[in-house]
Amino acid sequence: MAQFISDRRDIDFVLHEQLEAGKLAEMNEDFEEFDKKTIDLIVSEVRTLAVKEILPTQKEGDEQGCTFKDGKVTTPESFKRLYKIFNEGEWLAMTESPEWGGQGMPRTISSVAAEYFNGANYPFMMYPGLTHGAGKIIEEFGTEKQKQLFLKNMFTGKWTGTMLLTEPNAGSDVGALTTSAKQNDDGTYSITGEKIFISSGDHDLTENIIHPVLARIEGAPEGTKGISLFLVPKYKVNDDGTLGDFNDVICTGIEHKLGIHSNSTCSLALGSKGDCVGTLIGEKNKGMKAMFLMMNEARLLVGFQGFSCATAAYMYAINYAKQRIQGKNLLEIMDTNAQSVSIIKHPDVRRQLMKMKVFVEGMRSLLYYVSYCSDMAAVAETEEEKQKFQGFVEILTPIAKGYVTDRSFEVCSQGMQVYGGYGYIEEYPMAQLLRDCRITMIYEGTNGIQAMDLLGRKLGLNKGKTVMDLFQEIQQTVIAAKEIAELKDYAEKIEKALNKFGEIAMHMGQTAMSEKVLSAFANAHPFQDATGDLVVAWMLLWRASIAAQKIEKAKKKDKPFYDGLIKSLQFFVETHLPITMGNLFALKNTSSAAIDIDDAAFAG
Amino acid sequence: MNIIVLIKQVPNTTKVKLDPITGSLIRKGIESIVNPDDLHALEAALTIKEKTKGKVTVISMGPNQAVDVLTHAMGMGADKAVLLCDTAFAGADTWATSLTLSKAIKKINDYDLVICGHQAIDGDTAQIGPQVADWLNISQATYVKDIETINNKEIIVKTWLENGFKRISCDLPALLTVISEINEPRYPNIEFMIQACLDKAPIKIWNAADIGVNTCDVGLEGSNTHVIKTFTPDFKRQNETLTGSKQESVSQLLERLKKSDTTIAHIF
Ligand SMILES: Cc1cc2nc3c(=O)[nH]c(=O)nc-3n(C[C@H](O)[C@H](O)[C@H](O)COP(=O)(O)OP(=O)(O)OC[C@H]3O[C@@H](n4cnc5c(N)ncnc54)[C@H](O)[C@@H]3O)c2cc1C
Repeated sequence: MAQFISDRRDIDFVLHEQLEAGKLAEMNEDFEEFDKKTIDLIVSEVRTLAVKEILPTQKEGDEQGCTFKDGKVTTPESFKRLYKIFNEGEWLAMTESPEWGGQGMPRTISSVAAEYFNGANYPFMMYPGLTHGAGKIIEEFGTEKQKQLFLKNMFTGKWTGTMLLTEPNAGSDVGALTTSAKQNDDGTYSITGEKIFISSGDHDLTENIIHPVLARIEGAPEGTKGISLFLVPKYKVNDDGTLGDFNDVICTGIEHKLGIHSNSTCSLALGSKGDCVGTLIGEKNKGMKAMFLMMNEARLLVGFQGFSCATAAYMYAINYAKQRIQGKNLLEIMDTNAQSVSIIKHPDVRRQLMKMKVFVEGMRSLLYYVSYCSDMAAVAETEEEKQKFQGFVEILTPIAKGYVTDRSFEVCSQGMQVYGGYGYIEEYPMAQLLRDCRITMIYEGTNGIQAMDLLGRKLGLNKGKTVMDLFQEIQQTVIAAKEIAELKDYAEKIEKALNKFGEIAMHMGQTAMSEKVLSAFANAHPFQDATGDLVVAWMLLWRASIAAQKIEKAKKKDKPFYDGLIKSLQFFVETHLPITMGNLFALKNTSSAAIDIDDAAFAG
Repeated sequence: MNIIVLIKQVPNTTKVKLDPITGSLIRKGIESIVNPDDLHALEAALTIKEKTKGKVTVISMGPNQAVDVLTHAMGMGADKAVLLCDTAFAGADTWATSLTLSKAIKKINDYDLVICGHQAIDGDTAQIGPQVADWLNISQATYVKDIETINNKEIIVKTWLENGFKRISCDLPALLTVISEINEPRYPNIEFMIQACLDKAPIKIWNAADIGVNTCDVGLEGSNTHVIKTFTPDFKRQNETLTGSKQESVSQLLERLKKSDTTIAHIF
């Protein structure tokens, strides 16, 4: 039976065999409800909802898109019912505290929902997804009154949320923003400014929308140090929780774009009639700190968005390759009587499928592992352990966003290739997946910005202890794998790459602090690539080690699965790791050509 | 208003294959689901509960694994669940099954309405509902497509007939069997589902002694009918090509169809 979106067996493997998610229940009483049985049930329900209800809206959402008429944004028809079903199931705040209507679920488990739901239709999922992130800000930094007024209505999906950073002249450089806030006598602020590219900024799914807005209080310093965060609802909310007047947040248009057609990307004019009121959230001039909480979560989510396009593309590609009959078996090419075969029999198609398989598996494990680390940080018994896992989340965030979305787009492109011409036409799902996937490399901090974050901040996190801890973790997997006869060779090659990486990381870190800083940052993206490759190699080795130990006694239907995990490792080590090594050698050059070249030497 | 809903775990027959040699269902490896009509029964019960308050209890007879369908039902919003599980219940026909279910209902005692699906997709008998009503000696309405009104004393429903509908009023307590057109079942709510998985979840397991039946009256022993053989009819396709002009072959076809039992209206 063809599966959609994701491979359930592989998800179960990551949850139960690799990360042993059921054990989280034993570690902490907050998680005690989530034993293996409950997890399995949740996974099944997630899959059912994704395949039966969300997936059917994907293509329709793409074709209808959002429309803007008479100042109103309309979402695709099917979204209204779906949004209702989604909220009735209480999926929006799975990981949040029961106090605000959440279920307190470990993030490791909610990763399954992130994968399936986003894979089914991620532009739709952005409406609840951003709501969750905005709610988190209020939960963490909001006053009691702000929580009472907004939080429950957001975590139940009654109202949605957004994030308002970008302005025409403040994109990657948020510090350049000009939206201003002026304090009123009652302590509230009058907000004036224009924001662009705001996802879910206006729509017809809910009666109210709550915007966390970055703005500068009059007289505050320039740059990021003078930025504060405000809560600005579309409709004012009275003290008793009822809706008040329109809050002068006007949608002036929506963008027409390559993909994610069903998620509205809005231009919003705040206070153009002088009547937009917001309340400060968190401390004055500390808005970036608060927003970062949301941005870090959003970056992981964007990693999942990109990845979910990749896993869906992979599943479609396998099914297609099994069904599409074209060309003869290479060994029978001269035989005029030979039957044509399904394209999965062709070596070049197998290579493509294998490449997709390897990256999908590696990235799934990586993303779930980041979620797992945040659970481990939450249940850690010592401060040291907490810092270690929290450090892993932080250092792996640019990888989970930047590296994963880069690779995911490549996977979608491979999937299109497997379909041939049918991949390029809109009748088949590949074109949409490729289009939708592309933005994940741009928003939430472009992948270039992610690479700079890795090199400039994360590498030196906790004075370099975090990267060393990560190193040790990888090393342990390598040492254990070297004891498994059939993996020894692969483990040694990964160890070699790891050592080389250690040397290069040190070199890059030093160069970034030297007079060659510009050259270092001209190489930040390939460095992110190499780091990501290494983490994927680690994940594949970890997975294959489990498989190698289980395969002999495995049930008949599990044998090919486990064998496939070992083959994934083999493929990666034999075909991709040498490229990673080459990249590491190139990084040693830390080429300055891109810096030295005169602007005038570029065409123009 | 307290409502009891009967639900059954069935193999997902849309995915079941037949063993070409024995002709029986190959159940191995096939996922189990809640019988589709029963989800509509539960949805109907939950909708009534939302209007009238009261409790919804689901009952299922089956092996230990059937606890999954009860968990699903609680995820949708049922308040309590009972699994009737005893080796003595195994191999029951509809007579023995309906007896077992009605004994459990009698034990619960406090109910105004029993709702079940019109039929199960693995047996297709549609007998359980009417038989349970009979054992309980309460009024019944089958093929219910719409529940119009309900109060403490009576319920008015619309039932489906081949060429129309019938409106029926039943005194309570009553039993309804519902068809899928009645509503659209909700999806489980994640919070309820997690609660249903907890050890303290109100899912009870009752055996033969708990509901006060003699083991000889239930299961295979208590059954009046026994399946001798399940098989797929050996149906060989025959085809025949009608020759001649379009007009001629169409008239030939119509001639042929008139002679056979086929109702032409159904074909077009
Ligand atoms: C569909 C869509 C949805 C969006 N949703 C939201 C949203 O909900 N909320 C919101 O606030 N924003 C949103 N954005 C905005 C998005 O986050 C920005 O587009 C993104 O951060 C890049 O900013 P920019 O477009 O101004 O590009 P620029 O900042 O002009 O970047 C152009 C290029 O220059 C590079 N660059 C810029 N500065 C540097 C630097 N210092 N060092 C190295 N390279 C640099 C970038 O990597 C990029 O390649 C959305 C955008 C789109 C297209």
